[in-house]
Amino acid sequence: MTVNIDLRQPPFSFLTESQRSYLAHQLDMKFYAKGEAILTAGQHAPGIFIIYKGVVEEQGRDGQVFSQYGIEDIFDVRGVLESGCKHSYHAVEETLCYFLERHDFIELLNKNADFSMFFDSDLGSRELLIEQQDAGLSEFILARIDEDTLRPLIIIDADTTLAVVAETMKSEKADALLVQQQVEHAATRFGIVTGTDLLQAVLTGPYDKYTPVEKVATFELIGIDYGDYLYQALLVMTQHHLERLVVRQDQQWVGMIELKDLLSSFSTHSHIVAMRIDQANTVDDLVIAAGRLHKLIANLDRHGVKMIAITSLITTLNRRLMQRAFDMIMPLQVRQNVCLLVLGSEGRGEQILKTDQDNAVIFRDEDSATQAQPLLNEFHEVLLRFGYPPCPGGVMFINRPWAKTVAGWHKQIQTWLNNPTPDAMMNLSIFIDGEAIAGEVDLYTDISSSWRASHEHSIVASRLALPAVKFSPPITLLGKLKDDHGALDIKKGGIFPLVHGVRALAFEFGLHETNTLDRLDRLVTQRVLTAHMAQGLKDSLVLFLRIRLRHQLLAESMQDSANSAGLNQNIQVDELRSVDRSLLRHGLHRVKKFRQWLIQHYHLENF
Amino acid sequence: MEEPYWGDEAVVVDCETSHFDRNTGELLSLATVKVVNHTVQLSSALEVTLNTDTHTDPQAVRIHGLRREDRFHGISSDEAIDKFLNFVGNRPICGFFINYDRSILNRYVHARYGFHLPNEFIEVSQLYIRYLRKKNPNLQDNLTFEHLAEELNIPIFDRHTALGDATSTALMYIKLSKKLS
Repeated sequence: MTVNIDLRQPPFSFLTESQRSYLAHQLDMKFYAKGEAILTAGQHAPGIFIIYKGVVEEQGRDGQVFSQYGIEDIFDVRGVLESGCKHSYHAVEETLCYFLERHDFIELLNKNADFSMFFDSDLGSRELLIEQQDAGLSEFILARIDEDTLRPLIIIDADTTLAVVAETMKSEKADALLVQQQVEHAATRFGIVTGTDLLQAVLTGPYDKYTPVEKVATFELIGIDYGDYLYQALLVMTQHHLERLVVRQDQQWVGMIELKDLLSSFSTHSHIVAMRIDQANTVDDLVIAAGRLHKLIANLDRHGVKMIAITSLITTLNRRLMQRAFDMIMPLQVRQNVCLLVLGSEGRGEQILKTDQDNAVIFRDEDSATQAQPLLNEFHEVLLRFGYPPCPGGVMFINRPWAKTVAGWHKQIQTWLNNPTPDAMMNLSIFIDGEAIAGEVDLYTDISSSWRASHEHSIVASRLALPAVKFSPPITLLGKLKDDHGALDIKKGGIFPLVHGVRALAFEFGLHETNTLDRLDRLVTQRVLTAHMAQGLKDSLVLFLRIRLRHQLLAESMQDSANSAGLNQNIQVDELRSVDRSLLRHGLHRVKKFRQWLIQHYHLENF
Repeated sequence: MEEPYWGDEAVVVDCETSHFDRNTGELLSLATVKVVNHTVQLSSALEVTLNTDTHTDPQAVRIHGLRREDRFHGISSDEAIDKFLNFVGNRPICGFFINYDRSILNRYVHARYGFHLPNEFIEVSQLYIRYLRKKNPNLQDNLTFEHLAEELNIPIFDRHTALGDATSTALMYIKLSKKLS
C-alpha cells in the first residue's frame, strides 16, 4: 500500500532505495483521538511516530509546553535512543501517525551512517548534512585553498635588476614574483613585484632596467592562509582591489593564488558583480550593479552556497557599492571630513536581501556638516535608487539625530549612557553595531572607543539587554493555540532575541566586533559564554537566516516583486519541510536557553 | 477457533471479487490487518492475490484493477484460505459491508473444511449508525464508504485495493469504537 508521507525528504532521503522500501513495509498506523495521551514521561518509547495528520504536543511534567509537531514531523527519537521519554506527548487534534518499531528504527540507524548521523548530531552538523544534500557540495566556492589552486612561488633577491626580473617572468610564465630582502639581524622580509609594477616603474616612473627590484616592489604583503575557503580569498581580493594573494602556511609563504584562476572556476557571478561595481564610472552604472546583487543572492542560494559565505559576500559587495557611490558624490575635500556608518544588521554584516537602510554620519565639525549636507541628500537619493528602502524609524543620516559632529556624537552617547530609557537603549543598540565604511573612517574610531571606556557598563548593559528577554520564543508552532494562521515572525521570535542578547554582551564587555558570529567567538575566548552555548547560537542564527532567506525568495518569486522581500519576516510554518521545522524547533530552543541565561546574567527576573 | 475470543484485538478484512455477487463472485484478492487499541498493524498485514483464471467482470476490473494477468503470480484459493484462517484465529472480524465478505469467505471455507466461520463479525457501518443515533436520532443515513470516510475524517488509501480499503475501515473501526465506548 502507498505510504502517504513523503519518504524522499530528509531524514528518510538519506536511506537507500531498498532501505526506504524496508521502512515502508515496517510501518504501522496509529490513531489518537483529540486529547489522548501518546507517550508519557519516563516511558520507554516503543518506536518513532511520524505524523501523517494532526498535531501533537510535547509537555513537561509541570504542564509546560515544549513543542508541537505537525505533518511529517517525527517524535520521540530521544525517547527511543535514550533511557526513556523526557516529556509526555498527546494529540492536540485527532491524529494519525505512522509508527516504526524501535528495533526496526535502530536497524536502519545501524545500516546507514548518514541516517544515524542525522539523529545524533548537533544542530550545526545536522544543518550541514541537509545543506550538503540540498546542494551536492559540488560548488567550487566551498572549496579550500590547496595544492590544486596554488601557483608556485618564484623568489628573487631584492637586488635583482628589473631587466632580470622581466626575463624571469617571461621564462617562468609568471605575472608576479616574490622579492626577498635581507634586513638587519639576518632577518628576511618579503615583497611582491608584478608585471604592472615593472611597466609603471619604467614607462612612467624614474627607473630603468638596471634598477634593483626592491625600489619598485611592495613590501606589505596581503596574504591568506592555506586551507581557507576560496570565497574568503575572493573577499580579500575584493576588499583590497588585488588580483593575487600570497598564501601562508605555518608562518611560511608557500604559493600564490590568482584572481583569474578563481574567476575561471567560479560558477556564480559574484565577481562579475564586484567588477561592475569597481569599474562603474557613473551612479547609473552602480544602480545596474545593485540590481544584479539581488539576482546573485538567489543564484548563490540555489547553488547551495553556505549561508555564512553568502552573507559575507553580500556584505562586502553592498559596502563596496555604497563606498563607490559615496566617493562619486562627495569630492575629496568634503569626504575627508565626513564618515559614513552603516548600522543595525548592515553594520553587523548580517543583511542579505535589502531591508531598510540604517545609517548615520559623523562630521569632523560644524563647517564640514554645512558643506556635506546637500551632497548627503543626493547620496540618500542614490541609496533609494539602489533599492534600499527608507528606514521607517528614521535611522538615516538625512535626519539630524543621526548626523552629528564628533563632539555631538560624544555628547549623544553620554546622554544615552546616563539616561538609559528604552528609546535611548534602542538607539544605542543600533549605534554600537555600526561599521564605518566610507569617508574618513578614523572619525568613528574615536567615538566608538568612548562607549567602550564607559564604567557603567553592567547597569546599562542590563537595560540594553531587556528587550531580548521580553518575549518567550515561540516554541508552539502549530495547532490550535495560534491565532496568526501558522505564521511565525522569525525576527521577533528567533533572530532578534539572539542578536540583541549577544549585542548587550558585546557592549558590556566592550567588544570591537560587530558581527554576531564574531562576537560569539570573542565571548567564548573571554570566557563569558561556553563554547557549547556559543556554537549552538551560531548554528541557530545561520539556520534562521537561511530559512528566512529561502522563504523570502520563494514568496518573492510567487509575487514577482523584489521590492519588499527583505521586509517579510513571517515564516509559514506549515509550508516548511518537516526537517526544517525540526531544525527550527531546535534553534528556537537554543534561543530559549540563551534567554534564560541572559535573565540570570542581568538579573532581569523581575521585569 | 471455536473458542470465544477474550483479547482486545480484532481483524479487519476486505475482499476483492471477480464480480459483485455473493453466490458466484470469485475471490481475487484479500487483505486482513490486525487492530489493537490505537494501532493498525500494517507491517504484519496479510495481503494475498489468488491465481484464479476466472473470467473477470469488465465492470469489476475497472474498480479493483486486478486483471487476469495480474493474478498469474498469486496463490491457490486453498492456500489463501489457510493463511487467512491462521492469521485471523478466533478474533472478531470487522469490515465495511462485512456480510458480503463473510458470504464469500464462508463459501471458500466451507468448500475446503465443511464449516462456516464461527467468529464474531462487526459491521463498521452499523457502528456508524449507532454513533449517529447517539448524536442525532433523526439524521438520514448515507452509508457509502466515501461518505463515512469523509464524515469521520478518515483518509482513503489506494481505494479498491484490498489492503487500502481494509486500512481505512480499520481506522473507522478504531475511531467509532472510541466514540461509542
